[in-house]
Amino acid sequence: MITALALLGYAVCAAWCVPALLAPLTRRGASVRAGLAAWLTAMASVLVSVAVAIEISFRTVAADWPQLTQALCRSVAGSACTPAVYRSALYEGGTAALAILTTLLAAVALWRYVHRVQRSRRQTRAHAEAARLVGRALPDGIAAAGGVPGAGATWHRPAAAVVLDDPRPAAYCVAGRPAAIVLTSGALQVLDPPQLGAVLAHERAHLAHGDHLLQTLTQGLAAAFPGVPLFTRGAAEVARLTEMGADDTAARASSRPALVAALLAIATGTVIPTTGIPSPGAGAAGAAGAALPSGALPAAARAVPDRVERLLCPSTPARSAAFTAALAFALAVLTAAPLALTLLSTT
Amino acid sequence: MHRIWDHGGPLTVRDLFDELREERNIAYTTVMSTMDNLHRKGWLARERDGKAYRYTPVATREEYSARLMREAMAAAGDTEAVLSHFVAQMDGSESAALRAVLAKLAGGRA
Repeated sequence: MITALALLGYAVCAAWCVPALLAPLTRRGASVRAGLAAWLTAMASVLVSVAVAIEISFRTVAADWPQLTQALCRSVAGSACTPAVYRSALYEGGTAALAILTTLLAAVALWRYVHRVQRSRRQTRAHAEAARLVGRALPDGIAAAGGVPGAGATWHRPAAAVVLDDPRPAAYCVAGRPAAIVLTSGALQVLDPPQLGAVLAHERAHLAHGDHLLQTLTQGLAAAFPGVPLFTRGAAEVARLTEMGADDTAARASSRPALVAALLAIATGTVIPTTGIPSPGAGAAGAAGAALPSGALPAAARAVPDRVERLLCPSTPARSAAFTAALAFALAVLTAAPLALTLLSTT
Repeated sequence: MHRIWDHGGPLTVRDLFDELREERNIAYTTVMSTMDNLHRKGWLARERDGKAYRYTPVATREEYSARLMREAMAAAGDTEAVLSHFVAQMDGSESAALRAVLAKLAGGRA
């Protein structure tokens, strides 16, 4: 029973403290994969701990039950009414109450999760289908620009890029069967062909990486545990990391300046010539760092300078390695902590 | 679907089939089942006219387009569809702040 309490305590601590520790490590996206692994491990570690705690407390109650009822019967019969019997009855009652309460909370969370995932899957599919029906096909010449053919293909069919008439520049992909990449006519107006290629490469990377599955999972968990920082903050940070991962792939498929120009063009709705973007390297480091004081911007707008800065001044290999090592350490701790707690308290 | 929208008025399977056959080799049943599918999914309304159905779009392309954009541009909390935006949607003041920074950047370099 001590194990169950220790695991529950760990889960609560981790759910509230881990985000504050992990967020600074994954913030700059020095190592996208390690960052994603760390966040997902933290979530899994908490969920598994709670599940094991529930299992242990039920087992404890079940194991002690016959003895307890016997003792109670005897005490009711008046022959052996000792304080020890009352103490153990109280203890069992407490354990059972805790087990039932935790199970109820878990059941509510599970219900919320399933509900949310079903709804979002339905809406996503409907959106993709509608986009494919309503949108006009992207002209072939443009679609081929800069994109690797078939890179966005899911296991069903390749993702079609469609254009919707709307003056606001936007580009997004929506997973469905098949998936769709949606561009607004406003976006086409501010992008030149290489930049469009970079946008398409970014969206295809999302689909190829399976980021929509991660997003469905983390958003579902965030909906299941509202107000728990590990899941709410975690969902946002995972989304951030997948953006950066798609940026990396797109930068390899096209060019960093084209991707940066496309980011700025869509964010601001103005034409940004690629030639105005400094190419990544020593010279760009100072320019971008000084030019984009991201601290002064609201959160949503800050994401763009952050990504631009990251693309123009990529972390040095040493720095990336340091972050990866730190994240690997965090991952190890998150995996080992519940195991260690279980072993320590049972021996 | 585009064909039906471009057509405007109500349309039978036969009308659309005749129109499409001029361009490519297509089976009548393909057209029929496609239109039936679209009806089942709520894209086309139909009414019986003698032996055939006359199909009309439930909403215009512009209406669908606007609905999709509303869904896509909604703040993250409003829609539950999983969309991966190239750039997170910003409200007016946020994009104005970003534009100001960019203007400063352009001015600084010029």
